[in-house]
Order: sequence, then structure tokens, then C-alpha cells
Amino acid sequence: MNASLLSGGWPLLGHLQELRKHPIELFWRVREECGEIGELNFAGNRVVLLTGVEAQEAFFRATDEQLDQAAAYPFMTPVFGRGVVFDATPEQRKQGLRNQSLRDSFMRGHAEVIARETERMMAKLGDAGELDLLDFFSELTMYTSSSCLIGKQFREELTPEYFKVFYELEKGTDALAYVNPYLPLPVFRARDRARRRMVELLTGVFERRARSGAASGEKRELFDVLLSIKNPDGTPRFPVDQITGMFISMMFAGHHTTSGTAAWTLIELLRNPEFGRRVVTELDSLYADGGEVSHQALREIPELENAIKEALRLHPPLILLMRKVVYDFEYKDWVVPAGKLVGVSPAVSNRMPECFPDPDRYDPDRYREGREEDAQLFAWIPFGAGRHRCVGAAFAMMQLKAIFSTLLREYSFELAQPAESYRNDHSKMVVQLAKPCLARYRRRDRLAEARQAEAR
Amino acid sequence: MKIRVDRDLCQGHGACVEEAPEVFALDDATHQVVVRNESPDESLRPAVKAAAKYCPTRALRLED
Repeated sequence: MNASLLSGGWPLLGHLQELRKHPIELFWRVREECGEIGELNFAGNRVVLLTGVEAQEAFFRATDEQLDQAAAYPFMTPVFGRGVVFDATPEQRKQGLRNQSLRDSFMRGHAEVIARETERMMAKLGDAGELDLLDFFSELTMYTSSSCLIGKQFREELTPEYFKVFYELEKGTDALAYVNPYLPLPVFRARDRARRRMVELLTGVFERRARSGAASGEKRELFDVLLSIKNPDGTPRFPVDQITGMFISMMFAGHHTTSGTAAWTLIELLRNPEFGRRVVTELDSLYADGGEVSHQALREIPELENAIKEALRLHPPLILLMRKVVYDFEYKDWVVPAGKLVGVSPAVSNRMPECFPDPDRYDPDRYREGREEDAQLFAWIPFGAGRHRCVGAAFAMMQLKAIFSTLLREYSFELAQPAESYRNDHSKMVVQLAKPCLARYRRRDRLAEARQAEAR
Repeated sequence: MKIRVDRDLCQGHGACVEEAPEVFALDDATHQVVVRNESPDESLRPAVKAAAKYCPTRALRLED
């Protein structure tokens, strides 16, 4: 039988407006009204939402040949441009995903880079002040990702304008793309303007590198090599527009995700100061003997790791994972016919009470030995699961450990607005922290802290 | 000591190879783990346990 259609759809648009306003509530409504399988309508695109451990496991274990990631994300095509990522065949994507730079053996070098980039951001902070969490972590992760994934010299070309242009691209992922990603709307115009600006910026970088000779010779980096490849007729094999698409796609997966998680990790530690103190104490003692972040970030930092995992559970950066059904997908007595989309929501899964007792409560201790709630592979899914589980998950965890190892030993933070006022903006498919999202910081004075602790 | 690999989960990160190179390798063609030694010596148990623990996709299970 077919999955039943969720109530409340509008003519033509279906549940699109609800998706653009309250997506998480919409997904919960499917579970409450239809059970573990129910259908949504996004402007004619039928998405069958699977919830519950069993149905999610079936989704995550399905093969690429049956459930395809391509075509499931129409709002991404204008951001990446044609000929990049989702246009490739599953086999090409498989190869592309084996990004060498994410291999375990490279992690130590990456950790060093991330610690240094965090220090460079801190150098701009001074002794005390107020910062915008979205801007701060967006800028930082733009530098760390480009340096680790693309090249150290390329990173030096980046300015704060890059993260601002990137923010415009991320904001361009409005679900109205399900109607048509090229509608003449302000949000899509801003997206296309941002993409053109990115091409301009990168063209400038490549011209400078060509003039200085850095693009040939020994200092060549990934993009220099790609640019130098020619077709038989002498024209470039990869025009700058396409390389810009590669840059955007390489940065995209690790940017808003890591940046948002960093912000939420900090916000939750400040909302729950007893856990905040535990993390700072842990870091102080781990690094007391002068250990390097590049060494320690690859090892266990249990309190910090649990805090990151809990931020990921409560605020997963991706709230809907989708696949296109290539041939009929059967689950129990249901059939999802070819051509429809199937989806799983990490935002729902991560708060299912049967898997996560007291699911709305912030409790990093749920990952301690004996409880290990993240061991539920098909329920704790901030990174997805199965063969398409985020390939950057280990890199992201290491990156967050390196950032906070550096940041929290130098500065103390406090919320600069009411604790409940921090929230995500769900109006776009790419979830971002909603502004304002301010925090105050102050350079730590270890002596004063020690005196205070004694007085207590 | 018996090692179980969940083929649906392995993505070839190679964390297990770093932890226990005597036991695990990566297959260049499939980009998945190869268990070189199905019943490794007891002395390798801590390394194999670490491999299972640090596998980013939790594709390895250690039975008995």
C-alpha cells in the first residue's frame, strides 16, 4: 500500500509553506498523524518521510542504485552550478567522496592548522568585548576548511568578504526551489549575485597566482593544477566558473554545519554553566603540562566531546535527509514508488523519547560509558548513517575539539542576550543561527580565577 | 576474538588501519576495510578494541 498523505496541504503548494515556516513541527506532525511512514507534498514533489529506528535503518541501508542522493536537492544546483557534485554519476561521486584530505593519517596536520587559525581569530578579539556567534564561527570555519581541504596559500587569499558571500549563497536555499529554483524572486537573485561575485573573487585569486608564478612551480595547489589542465584544442578543461562550483561544493558541506555546531556547543555550555565549568576544568588539566592542541585534539576529551555531541543532537545542522527512489522501495506493507522522494529527519530522530530519555533536556552525560546513547547508529543521526554518513564527521569532531581547546583556555564567555532567545532560522533549507546571536567574552585571568575558586 | 564488519557502514576512513595495522588494511578497489587476520593473537585485543571504538562509522564489532 501507499503511505498516507499528511493533512493540511494547500492546493498546488501542498505543505511547502509549512516547510518554510515550521519544518520540524511539520515532520513531527507526520509521525503523530501517519505513524512511521507518511507523505508530504512540496509543490508537487512527493516526499515520503520515514521515522522511527526501524524505518530509518531501512532508509540508511538501501543501496545507491535504489535510493539516489542526486536530484533530491534541487535547491543546491544553482548554488554549485552545473557540472558539479549532483550531476555526477554515483560511481564518480563515490570516487570524489574518497577525499584524501579526510583520511585519518592527515588529521594531525589539520589539527595544527585549526589551532593556528583559531589563534589568528583570537588575535583580533582583544581583552574583552562582544561578538556575533554566527559571524565569528562562519569566518573561522571558512579559513580552517579552505586551508585543510584546498591549500594553505589559497587560504591566505581569503578575506572576510568570502564568508559574507558564502552566507548569501547559504541563504539562497529557499524551499521555493521545489517550485522552480530560478523563479525571479529577491532571494534567488541575491543567491545568483553572490555566486557571480564568488567567480569574480576567485578569478582575481587565480590571476594573482599566475602573475606571481605561484600557480606553476613547486608551490602549486589543487586549483592551480585543475586550471592548468587543457582540452585538446588548448582551452581550459575546467573554466573558472566550474572551479568556483568545486570550491563552493567542497566548502559547503563543512561550513554552515561546523560553524553552527560550534555556536550551539558554546551557547549550550553557557546556558548550562555546570557543564561549561566541567569542560573548562577538563581542558585546563589536559593541557596543564603544555600539551599541543594538534596532539590532544585527536585524543579523548570526554566532557568536551559529550558537549559537542549533545549540541549536535539537539540542534542538528541538517534537519531533512533525502533520496530519490530509483526503483520501488518496499518497507513492511508499504511501497514507495519510483520517482518519489524519501526522507529522514535528524531533528525528529534525535529527540525520539524511546531512544533518548527526557529528549528535550540538555544532558551531555547521556554519552558516558554505560549509557552511550549515540551508539544507536540509526537513531542518533546528526551525521546521518550508513554508506552516506557524513564523510567529514571525524574531521568535524576533531575540528571542534581543536577550536574549543584553543578558545576556552584563553577566553571566558557569557550570554549577551536572554538564554531562550538563541534559535535557528529554519526559513531556508540550510539552517543557520538566527541573528541576533551575541556573546560577551573576556580574556581569562587564571590568578583571579584561582582566588575566586578558593573563596568559594 | 571474532571481528565483524558491517559492509553497509564502512566508508574506508582507515582509522582501524592506524590503530591495528596488523589486523586491518584498506582495499584499493572497494575502498573498504579488509580483515587481514580473522583471528588475531590475544595480544592485539587492545588495538582491535581501539579500532572498533575509533571507527568513525562504527562499522566494526568485536565479538567475545
